[in-house]
Amino acid sequence: MKHWWKFLGIGLLLFASIAALRVPLAPALVHVSPDRIAPGPVELTITGYNTRFGKEESVYLKNDNQRVCATSVTTLDGTHLSARFDIPAGMKANLTDIAVGRLIYNGALFTEGLGAGITSGSCGPSTNKIDMSGLAFVFPNRSILYESIRNLHFHVPMWFTMIVLMGISVFQSIKVLGSNSLDRDLAAEMSVRIGLVFCVLGLITGALWARATWGAFWTNDVKLNGAAVTGLIYVAYLVLRGSVQDAHKRARLAAIYNVFAFVLLVLFLFVVPRLNAIDSLHPGNGGNSGFSDLDMDNNLRSIFYPAVLGWILLGCWMYDLRVRAARLANALDR
Amino acid sequence: MRTLLSFFLLLTTIIANAQNAAPSWLESTLYGSGKINVVVGVVAVIILGIGIWLWRMDRRISNLERKP
Repeated sequence: MKHWWKFLGIGLLLFASIAALRVPLAPALVHVSPDRIAPGPVELTITGYNTRFGKEESVYLKNDNQRVCATSVTTLDGTHLSARFDIPAGMKANLTDIAVGRLIYNGALFTEGLGAGITSGSCGPSTNKIDMSGLAFVFPNRSILYESIRNLHFHVPMWFTMIVLMGISVFQSIKVLGSNSLDRDLAAEMSVRIGLVFCVLGLITGALWARATWGAFWTNDVKLNGAAVTGLIYVAYLVLRGSVQDAHKRARLAAIYNVFAFVLLVLFLFVVPRLNAIDSLHPGNGGNSGFSDLDMDNNLRSIFYPAVLGWILLGCWMYDLRVRAARLANALDR
Repeated sequence: MRTLLSFFLLLTTIIANAQNAAPSWLESTLYGSGKINVVVGVVAVIILGIGIWLWRMDRRISNLERKP
């Protein structure tokens, strides 16, 4: 059974894609209106996402670890809640958090009438009143990202696949330098061609995601520019190949160029964006945390890694088909 | 010429007002309903991309079949 990895790849993609689209987001508070509080009575309307607010929720404000309890709470529906507060004067921090039971919306409210601090009220979650039934396995609900966090399972594997294909290519190129094999040269070229397909998909999907989270299709993020330059370097590899007539000369020249291209890929995608002096919007770059507690959780990982492996296997399958078609074409030409 | 210019000015004002009135198609699709539409767009792009690749592969193999 030599085709097992193709079945594995499709199976993983099926599992990961369905899970990526179907797993619900964790309940979270997403909006408070008005977003500014001053000393005195105020009524706040709180909007939740995927929440099921019950009849009696404990709602409170949190300012520098001091709490202000709601004087009355009205649950409008599962995702809307109205709460009245008597805001005391002299809260310490600029931003006040608002909490409904276990759910906390950090920095939800601009605070006026600042002072040395207040005496904390004794309210808050005594029991977990948020109805979590049917929400045992959820994706984290992050502000700005919201549902688009699912793109992690589609956009990021494109880049993993591209990097693996470029890795296969540079491996074949090194073999070319040792053996002068034209067949390995063909494999190196086709691997780059398939890698570029994934590069283009990664750039387009990234642009869409960036428009919804960072506000622009293209930002001056180092990783974006690095990825674009990497793509251009590999396009130049194909142009270089097209400009040399002699097959053996082309194979050696392209192999040497490919080794440099891969070194640049590693530099542009892994080294330069991680320099602390450079600011980046990507997680894990420019001082941001990456595959750590802040960006990934274990639920995301358990879908993300199958997705990455599935896409890599699909990329390898595409590469396999492309090489075989090219070999056939060569055999027919002879 | 003057009528053309005034018509053009009128048109630009209408377009500018229309943009103020409602969020653009792009804004409403990318930001609406918890940003799920971004995911829909991304999945669509990937499926289209793989589809275009398959189409080209199909053409390539058809060409091979046509060779004697």
